Amino acid sequence: MLHLQIDPHSGIPVYRQVMDQVKYYVAAGTLRPGDVLPSIRELAQALSVNPTTVVKAYNELQHEGVVELRHGKGVFVADGAPAMSDAERRKALARLARQLAVEALQMSASPDLVLRVVRDELEALNRERSRD
Amino acid sequence: MSDPVIEARDLSKTFPGGVVAVNGLDLAVPPGVVYGLIGRNGAGKTTAIRMLMGLLRRNRGTARVLGTDLWTAPIETRARVAYVSQLQRLHAWMTPEELCHYASHFYGRWDRAYARDLARRFDVPWDYQVGVMSGGEQRKVAIVLAFAARPDVLLLDEPAAGLDPIARRELIDELIEVLSRVDGCTVLFSTHIISDLERIAEHVGIMDRGRIVAAGRLDELQSRTKRVQVVFEGAAPPPGFALPGAVRSKAEGPVVTAVVRLASDAQLDEVRRLPGVRVNVFPLGLEEIFIELFGPGSRAEFVDGEL
Repeated sequence: MLHLQIDPHSGIPVYRQVMDQVKYYVAAGTLRPGDVLPSIRELAQALSVNPTTVVKAYNELQHEGVVELRHGKGVFVADGAPAMSDAERRKALARLARQLAVEALQMSASPDLVLRVVRDELEALNRERSRD
Repeated sequence: MSDPVIEARDLSKTFPGGVVAVNGLDLAVPPGVVYGLIGRNGAGKTTAIRMLMGLLRRNRGTARVLGTDLWTAPIETRARVAYVSQLQRLHAWMTPEELCHYASHFYGRWDRAYARDLARRFDVPWDYQVGVMSGGEQRKVAIVLAFAARPDVLLLDEPAAGLDPIARRELIDELIEVLSRVDGCTVLFSTHIISDLERIAEHVGIMDRGRIVAAGRLDELQSRTKRVQVVFEGAAPPPGFALPGAVRSKAEGPVVTAVVRLASDAQLDEVRRLPGVRVNVFPLGLEEIFIELFGPGSRAEFVDGEL
């Protein structure tokens, strides 16, 4: 089973921490479409967290199209990229880009640097994905 | 929404001599939820739980568990509720084995095999008299007795106090196990060990001077409460500057730091747009939130009782 690292003191809701890490593993290709995720009970036990927290993380991930909950069978990584239209994808990305832009302005980073860092991160993720 | 399994309305207790321990407590725990109660020493947590458990008579208000007042409830209802407390006295001359045998007569769903298994996992000496055990060991015995009764409701008053780290984790794992079952369990627990609460509480209530001053979902509290630092570069903050949603705020030269409660991060956009301003947002753990709200020099006022 994949290791998820939970820090209950961080102030970031535990279900969010689970979601972010599953999404990262999917984006990085460590988890691939059709892969099985631990059951709610297994993951709750492994992380020592309330099962409802895991339910919430899985439900939200399903809502975002990252996983699929098949009744009685388990939780699977969904086929294909998260089911988003181009417009939705653009909107979601714009929200994140806005945060990045604000931070970049605050540290007086040049636009070129920002774009370069984003491109490097994308390439690094792609490399990780094609390695396995 | 289904009826709460544990409910207090205007619950109050004044002890002889005039000490007001609980003063207008309102609390509702929906089925299957783990509710964590925190508050400083003397906030009234133990008294409130004892009244809910039907061990202490209230002066005012109502206390209901499973829809009834346990003070007058029949034994069958009481048998569906288990209790672990720092004030609990176990019969000192009995061994855990004898206590389990004794308890099995009162609890219709008593699970003998489970009691044995729990005692082994919690490392409870099975054939020692309880009276010679340490406080932590006695607490473990109480936990074994509570779980082996297979209750629908667990009222836990500082269940982890005095437990070693391994027993504490075992307690959390056992709660998770119980919560995973189809027939679920509703749990109210008080604790000063906030990291335990952050792992398993879905709802939290903060008690202060005998009442709940703030309550809500833990994940919402975490999402909404942040520490924000604003740096005004090369200038002092404009007069009257205040961060939106600030609970506590302090200004030192060009730096304003505040604990804020926000519905959305976008509420800070206006501040971010000010010229020459740098804004940093940090998440806050529950312990820090608690200290910020109740620590020295602060007595947070909650207008709406919402966290």
